[in-house]
Amino acid sequence: MGTKRIKLVIESILENVPLVGLSVNNICRHANFSEEVSSQIDLCVVEAVTNCVKHAYKQIPGHKVEVDISLYDDRISFSISDHGKRMKILQMPRLEFDPEDVEHLPEGGMGLYIIHQAMDEVSYKTEEGKNTLTLTKRFQTG
Amino acid sequence: MELETRKEGEVLVVKSLEKRLAAHIAAEFRERLAQLINEGNHLIVLDISEVEFIDSAGLAALVYTLKLLGRKEQLVIYGARGPVTNIFELTRMNTVFQMFDDEKGAIAALSG
Repeated sequence: MGTKRIKLVIESILENVPLVGLSVNNICRHANFSEEVSSQIDLCVVEAVTNCVKHAYKQIPGHKVEVDISLYDDRISFSISDHGKRMKILQMPRLEFDPEDVEHLPEGGMGLYIIHQAMDEVSYKTEEGKNTLTLTKRFQTG
Repeated sequence: MELETRKEGEVLVVKSLEKRLAAHIAAEFRERLAQLINEGNHLIVLDISEVEFIDSAGLAALVYTLKLLGRKEQLVIYGARGPVTNIFELTRMNTVFQMFDDEKGAIAALSG
């Protein structure tokens, strides 16, 4: 079976982001990922697209966020691109907290943590002003 | 965003009618909850039985609300479904928030 591809493009407005998530969730279900895994992938792509809108474009409308989806025999991958400010870090942030210490509970950094936890491969590159975060999830075998 | 509220004794039950509790409504969600706290509601059951999806911004709004209240014993969550529970577990937020399957139990936990 050959690779199947689709590209989703939204304007940099947070209200558009759920539409990407809903589309991704349905594509994952169609590709036979479980409901749980499909929801996790939906979440990771939403986190990535939200980051583009909030941080790369500082919530200024009029810019494009692109999501290129490739469905292979053994995996699905998502390349999320913007032409805004480059992301500073890609490494998984530490999510350490004392659940009893309410005052110091984290309110940020959870998005990237979730992406690293839930996806099999995460990479980031910038070429000619275009930043691309690529997320890959493999079908479980055996 | 759509929220439904009702009072059960001292406890305010806040139900999210939004299916996706995420970045696109997180700021408004925070503000609405802060307003309810400012109006004197200091014991809150958050009913998320209609919620199918929560992201880090949605979770951050819950953490923010908990910080406004001050103590873990003032905010509990009721009705989290599979995929949503999964995200609480992935981020260990299930160790921060008491989570209930039944509303009576959630209300009783705050009323004690």
